[in-house]
Amino acid sequence: MSKDDLILRKERQLQVELGQQRSNPLAHVFDNLVNFCRSRSLFMLHYCTGCGAIELPPAMTSRFDMERLGIQPMVTPRQADILLITGYVSIKTLKRIILTYEQMPAPKYVIGICSCTVNGGMYWQSYATAKVLKHYLPVDVYIAGCMPRPEAVIEGLQDLMEDIKSGRANSWKKYFHNYDYYLGNQQQLFGEDWQTPTDIIAEARHYDLLTEQTLGEHTALLEKHQKPLEALEMRLQGQKQPL
Amino acid sequence: MSVLHLILELILMPLVAFVVGLALVLMMRKIAARLQRRVGPPFLQPVYDIIKLYGKDTQISHGMIHEMGIIMAVGGYIAAETLLPVPGMSGLADKGGLVTLAYVLMIPSLGLALGVGQCANPNGSIGISRALTAMLAYDVPFILVIFGVAWMYGTTNLADMIAIQQQGGPQTWGIMQMPLLALAGLLTLPAMMGKHPYEIYVAPAEIATGPMVEMSGKFMGGLFVMQCFQLYTVGVLYTTLFLGGGENWLTFLLKVFAVLAIPMSIAYLFPRYRTEDVLRLMWKWPVLIGLLGLAVVMK
Repeated sequence: MSKDDLILRKERQLQVELGQQRSNPLAHVFDNLVNFCRSRSLFMLHYCTGCGAIELPPAMTSRFDMERLGIQPMVTPRQADILLITGYVSIKTLKRIILTYEQMPAPKYVIGICSCTVNGGMYWQSYATAKVLKHYLPVDVYIAGCMPRPEAVIEGLQDLMEDIKSGRANSWKKYFHNYDYYLGNQQQLFGEDWQTPTDIIAEARHYDLLTEQTLGEHTALLEKHQKPLEALEMRLQGQKQPL
Repeated sequence: MSVLHLILELILMPLVAFVVGLALVLMMRKIAARLQRRVGPPFLQPVYDIIKLYGKDTQISHGMIHEMGIIMAVGGYIAAETLLPVPGMSGLADKGGLVTLAYVLMIPSLGLALGVGQCANPNGSIGISRALTAMLAYDVPFILVIFGVAWMYGTTNLADMIAIQQQGGPQTWGIMQMPLLALAGLLTLPAMMGKHPYEIYVAPAEIATGPMVEMSGKFMGGLFVMQCFQLYTVGVLYTTLFLGGGENWLTFLLKVFAVLAIPMSIAYLFPRYRTEDVLRLMWKWPVLIGLLGLAVVMK
């Protein structure tokens, strides 16, 4: 990122800040409406790690019924808004979590359930577990407990809804703003040749979310050995290569 | 009818269909919730979902055809709404008729197939091939039913059919005149809606919602809008063919909601059928009953 880009970006930020102090009381009606709808319609991804997942079926079904709050399960990252991390995160799982998180369309929210996601919990001494989730992904809400009951899960989700309604739940922007930090922590665990299919830097550039912290030594390392993505070859088992 | 009046009707009819469709989606989710002893979603939930999906900050598109596919899927149904007469508005119903409607109703599935094709997701390809097979399954009884109805009334004009049924009163309604065809139509309804137990092509747990697997943000929002139109179209078509259309908006909406409540209430009691089972079921019972009904009508 050149210096001119940075100056341009700072000027734009200045404009936005000036714009937010508009005197027209109706200036934010549309934003508020969209924020309200976002808070009342949350699709959570059907992806569960660890043991906390066992608390989600009662939270979704007739006993506690999360659909009252507009929360329903969705099965692909493309459709989902919330990524629930329900328990300890092994290093192998963390790779999948990051791939999944990067595929979700923003605004996206991450909720860490159980104490394992806060500080490693009872897996503190494990060699195969990522201890603190927020080193690898920006987390919106933590729900502590081992495991938290469905009431606690719903309470945490309601906190998230409040944050979204008031426009405070912007942690997804942190991932673009501070990509170098998150990528550095990921490289520490997965090795230097770690690469995901989603090009976060290009996305940050496209959506105007690039900051000084987005690029750094770790992204430079990534760009050094980054392989362009190719479509997987599709062939049946036992079929010979076409000549 | 003046041109201005026609244009007004062409704009109003899809809008009304969308609002009624939102209410139908809400009814479907409420029925599902009540059958599972839950409270269910709040009143405006379908609206929240659609606004949220269109308000996503990052949109992931897979190319031109992906976007065109969604436009075809929604546009096909918008075209279909202008061919379905409602109380006070007939739009293009006089010019179109049943045959055009049957053609137009195939556009959404084909558009979806195009859009999903560009996503290049294997789950999506499996899903859309299942969806097109299901279309093959329910189109045979569907064509039989509309052929029988058109033979019975001697016209393919939907507005004329409604006029004939309303002049004679309830004893001349399609459901009294040709109960076998009405039964065949009722059996075909849930398959046309693509809801339980005929939603093998969506199959969330196995192929990750099939055609919708790569749809995010506005694309998913387009599909949610399409679902509203889909429920409305199926309900209004059945009401028009067999229940005498609507004399006024009150009776019309009552009939549409009642018609759709029947398959929805039954739907959530059964597990999904596999694709070949859908085909076998559709080509056996509704086709058999439809052929019998056709024989009675054409005797």
